[in-house]
Amino acid sequence: MTTVLATELLTVLTLNQYLLVSAVLFTVGLVGFLARRNLIVMFLCTELMFQAGAIAFIAFSRFHLEVSGQVFVIFILTVAAAEAALALALVVLLYRRKETLNAELWSELRE
Amino acid sequence: MAGTALYALCVLCLLGLYLVLRPGGRLLKTVGVLIGLAALALLFVEITRSATGGGENEQGAFFYIFSSIAVMAAVRMITHTRPVYSALYFVFVVLSSAGLFLLLEAEFIAFALIIIYAGAILITYLFVIMLAQQSPDPHNPSAQPEYDVIPREPAAAVVVGFIMLALFSHMIVETFSNAPQSPSVQMAQNLAWRDLEQMPTQLEDLVRESETETFRLGWDEQDDWLEIAGETASVRYTLNESGQQKLLELPADAQPDNIQRVGLSLILQYREGQLELAGVILLLAMFGAVVLARKHIELNEDEKRQAAGMRRLGYEDEPESGKLTSGGEPS
Repeated sequence: MTTVLATELLTVLTLNQYLLVSAVLFTVGLVGFLARRNLIVMFLCTELMFQAGAIAFIAFSRFHLEVSGQVFVIFILTVAAAEAALALALVVLLYRRKETLNAELWSELRE
Repeated sequence: MAGTALYALCVLCLLGLYLVLRPGGRLLKTVGVLIGLAALALLFVEITRSATGGGENEQGAFFYIFSSIAVMAAVRMITHTRPVYSALYFVFVVLSSAGLFLLLEAEFIAFALIIIYAGAILITYLFVIMLAQQSPDPHNPSAQPEYDVIPREPAAAVVVGFIMLALFSHMIVETFSNAPQSPSVQMAQNLAWRDLEQMPTQLEDLVRESETETFRLGWDEQDDWLEIAGETASVRYTLNESGQQKLLELPADAQPDNIQRVGLSLILQYREGQLELAGVILLLAMFGAVVLARKHIELNEDEKRQAAGMRRLGYEDEPESGKLTSGGEPS
């Protein structure tokens, strides 16, 4: 039973495995976004979540034989690039004001 | 009871992540890494078992190599205290997920991902990190700022992460176990030939390799240009002069490759200008970044005039001063 499972694990690739990798990457990115206090690292974590979404898209595209999943990843890349440009500009702006990257110093913005 | 085991494994995964994330001794972190990896491996086994059926694939080993690199680099990325290393570990994640894309036969996206993400976006991040990074203690340049070392509420973050991971894994087991777990080769071939049918120029080039006379694609009574039979397909064409209807069998390598199919889908499905919209988004992001990040320098009237190549105001003893104050035109 176990040897059958072991060989099956190594030779059979299923959609579920790709989806689990995507889910784990997304969760790690989410935890990082919530736990880190450095503004730049927080934005890096959002990029990680984008990446997880892209893996899920490509996996579905392969297993459902539909190329438009890959096309959608192109749009994800576009949005990620736009987000990186704007977010980094904002980070530079905030850094000039307070000379620090600590996200908690900006918590007065919530009011 | 499979659900309970799934949730328990998710708890263990996130417990490992919590131990790695919180500031603490090396021993606790090692324990965290071990717990997390073991729980993740068991979660994998559980998910694989839940899938019904699945195609044989010789690239399984590559999948495990790439996905374990991706997950470990992601964890290292959110736990490393130096942002530069976090960005470099993210490059690892990008490279290994490009490897996963290659396994999924998405070659174009894989290389585009490496060029755009690892090449362009991450370099921008590195520049900003180097611009904004400073040591809190000028006498000890390797000291870390406090906000990089101590995470904010790691326990709460891990709880949210547990909810997310449990939701995802439950959804994968419940919903996608009946989804197609391996693409049918027959159907893939069929769809590839169908895509080729949308490219008449390509078809004409293929026919022209063996045909010397002028021709047009298709037979008159049938609309389809291609006659598809599994791995091979035949193209129907009619000679212009004699009107003779002919059939040419295409080899299997005449199928459009990944980049052609992505391009075709991009053009055919997004023809109402979504692609141009993506370009507009990028352009606006560029404008936004320039406007946000530029330094505001207040210039007084003299400096503005100097920057425009005009004579400065306020020199009453100069001979042309009378002209300048009246009109202000450059001489």
